[in-house]
Amino acid sequence: MKLRRVLALGAVAAISALTLAACGNKSGASSHKGVLNLSTTAEMPGLDTSKVTDNSSLTALSNTQEGIYRIGKDSKPENALATKTTESKDGLHWTFNLRKNTKWSNGDKVTAKDFVYSWRRTNDPKTASQYAYLFDGVKNADAIQNKKADVKSLGVKAVGDYKLEVTLEKPIPYFKLLLGFPIFFPQDQKVVDKYGSKYGMSANKQVYNGPFKVEGWTGTNTKWKWVKNNSYWDKSAVKTNTINFQVVKENNTALNLYNSGKIDRTQLQGSQVANYKNNKDYTYFQGSTSAYLELNEEKVPAFKNQKIRQALSLALDRTQLVNNVLEDGSKAATGLIPTKLTKNPKTGADFANDSKVADTTDHNLAKAKQLLKEGEKEAGISSLNFTLLADDTSGTKQNSEFLQSQFEKLPGVKVSLQNVPFKNRLTKSSNGDFDAVITLWGADYNDPYTYSSLFTSDNSQNNGKWKNSEYDTLIKNSANKDANDKQKRYDDLVNAEKILTKDVGIVPLYWGTASGSGPMLQKSYVKGVIYNSAGVNFNYKNVEVK
Amino acid sequence: MAKYLLKRLFYLILTLFLIATITFFMMKLLPGTPLSNESKLSHSQIQMIYHTYGLDKPVWQQYLIYLAGMVRGNFGLSFQFDNQPVSYLLATRMPASFQLGIQAMIVGVLLGIIVGGIAAIRRNTWVDGTMTIISILMISIPSFVLAILLQYYIGLKAGAFPVAGWGNFSYTILPTIALAGSPFATTARFIRTEMVDVMSSDYIELAKAKGLTSTGVVYHHALRNSLIPLITLIGPLTVNLMTGSLVVENIFAVPGIGEQFVKSITTNDYPTIMGITMMYSVLLVVVLLITDIVYGIVDPRIRLQGGQS
Repeated sequence: MKLRRVLALGAVAAISALTLAACGNKSGASSHKGVLNLSTTAEMPGLDTSKVTDNSSLTALSNTQEGIYRIGKDSKPENALATKTTESKDGLHWTFNLRKNTKWSNGDKVTAKDFVYSWRRTNDPKTASQYAYLFDGVKNADAIQNKKADVKSLGVKAVGDYKLEVTLEKPIPYFKLLLGFPIFFPQDQKVVDKYGSKYGMSANKQVYNGPFKVEGWTGTNTKWKWVKNNSYWDKSAVKTNTINFQVVKENNTALNLYNSGKIDRTQLQGSQVANYKNNKDYTYFQGSTSAYLELNEEKVPAFKNQKIRQALSLALDRTQLVNNVLEDGSKAATGLIPTKLTKNPKTGADFANDSKVADTTDHNLAKAKQLLKEGEKEAGISSLNFTLLADDTSGTKQNSEFLQSQFEKLPGVKVSLQNVPFKNRLTKSSNGDFDAVITLWGADYNDPYTYSSLFTSDNSQNNGKWKNSEYDTLIKNSANKDANDKQKRYDDLVNAEKILTKDVGIVPLYWGTASGSGPMLQKSYVKGVIYNSAGVNFNYKNVEVK
Repeated sequence: MAKYLLKRLFYLILTLFLIATITFFMMKLLPGTPLSNESKLSHSQIQMIYHTYGLDKPVWQQYLIYLAGMVRGNFGLSFQFDNQPVSYLLATRMPASFQLGIQAMIVGVLLGIIVGGIAAIRRNTWVDGTMTIISILMISIPSFVLAILLQYYIGLKAGAFPVAGWGNFSYTILPTIALAGSPFATTARFIRTEMVDVMSSDYIELAKAKGLTSTGVVYHHALRNSLIPLITLIGPLTVNLMTGSLVVENIFAVPGIGEQFVKSITTNDYPTIMGITMMYSVLLVVVLLITDIVYGIVDPRIRLQGGQS
């Protein structure tokens, strides 16, 4: 009888547990005032200001800590800890007067010394920061990272508690944008020393001087929150008391949670976009990821021929690619640099429009065929075979197949596909082990230079080894000679982009979305979210839930 | 028995050592780096960072360092979770997977035994047919399809249970059901076959001839004897479930370990790959050992070989 009893008990226990739980959980959506509920697609791996690399952590730091500037609407740097900025004529010397009496959440004062300490720590090779390269241009940063100079020689100095002096080796026209990026935020040395290797590994092993404080994050868990920081200098501007985060990796799950009222925003993917396009909550956050094809001129000599490259670019119907294959709100690219990244200082026109070159990216199969014929004649070949390398995610596979079918409409062109895991693709790309590769690049900051600098002859990210001396000169001028002349620098970058497009240094594909951007549903009671397409996307300082 | 156990223990350690070695070297053959910002870093920048982590040392040196650490229970620091100890990651992410796995096993196996048993007793009737169809359905529907259906209809539409997330017991119900499908179907089919077999054996005939009631025969003899071989099945199945399911955990946003295994491989997070592999291996070999021992205890027919000494 023993077995029978066990079985019966088990069954009763299971059934009663199920019913009990069912009764206990009929409560509907909670009240929303002052509380924002968000989901994120990945865990937050760390809050060490020098070491963060991922979206969740960067978003957390930029909303819970504060540096010299905070990036506001339309990527405008606004004074945060700075009260006054003085820039020398040559753009090499910067002086920042800092706000007095701002405090870390542990009560320590935030001073200029915290910046000096933080920047040195990030550049110290021992820290192994993966974002230290953003300091390129700050005096001795490169040398320090390569162990050729002492950390103390970094071009940053505290004059008293509230004045910070920064020396650059070369002008950095987007320096103010960088100063709004968490890697450039101050750090409290006392806290770093106190926690040692545990610093930033859980919510209470970090201090905050921004609008919010992180709570409930243990380092590996999937739920945490930001609560209003009452020691923040501008706390009256913070209208939301709590922002809850929950990791939801599955897109459909997030949508179900949104529809059940548990989260206030969700990213849409694939067929969800079509289904919800007319929903009143539908909104689109333009991303700043550029997808392009790199043609390896060292491995496939035919790619050295400009006409062949042009033929490949013209053979593509990008509209069909974004509308029928990607279906996620991505835009057909007309060049390398996406729209909404930056504007003409004089006219306010979008960079992508200013740099557009007619008849370079519009679908024109007849012209492509003709160019290919001419190109093949010039190169002395009669057919073109190459392998297209790309990631092995299902979306990218579809893209490759689409590109293959489009290229093979050209007579004598045969394309084979090679889809490999992301890390594998990166290795192959940087080793030059590919014929053509689909590359995606996300902007670090809202300035064309984050893209343009990639395709100079000596840049290690120029995997196709396309070379154009005119392009090199323009990029160099933009960073040196014209660096302090906004308009001239802008024109240099526009002209460089035109050359890249005309000469097909890369084949532009689409301007897409990354995690944290793209088509979304957002509840209408959420107001005041500031979104920027590059760097840290979301600024929640002024968010209101009404 | 002691000699047998010692011998088994020796093989167990040897197995683990081999797994650690093979995994380590295969893992080092993976292309790419464990750095999360790899696509933006130049070769020399990567080398600088590698130096800091000791990843520029020859692979055999890294292997020895790793082995020395592992013996002392130090699995190293994770890369995806900025330098968080792997043991901490395991300790914080295992409980959810464990809980779901064990709940799914209990629900699945209990229901499986009941359904399989009934099917065997009423074999070749419509009851048997229906039960077979149900178990075939449950084994053919992948857990993630079941998970999506449960989430949409029971979670969202009916509002009976939370759609996703992790909190009180009610959050575990839908994922438990989704995961229980497979052990349920496996057990049901297994028990049915076993019982049909047992029911036609001589001692059942004898029991019937002795005049025992049919329920008595089923419980005392048929079911009991059919359950013994189930032990071999349950061990590995439990380990499998406890170590988490990537898809079901993702669908229900469960903070488990299942997804971390896959993610650690795609991100080249070497210490985490090793940590999870070793934990899984230890669980599996230990459970297999226990299964063998328990088997010997419950089934006198097996005891002979193990009990020579």
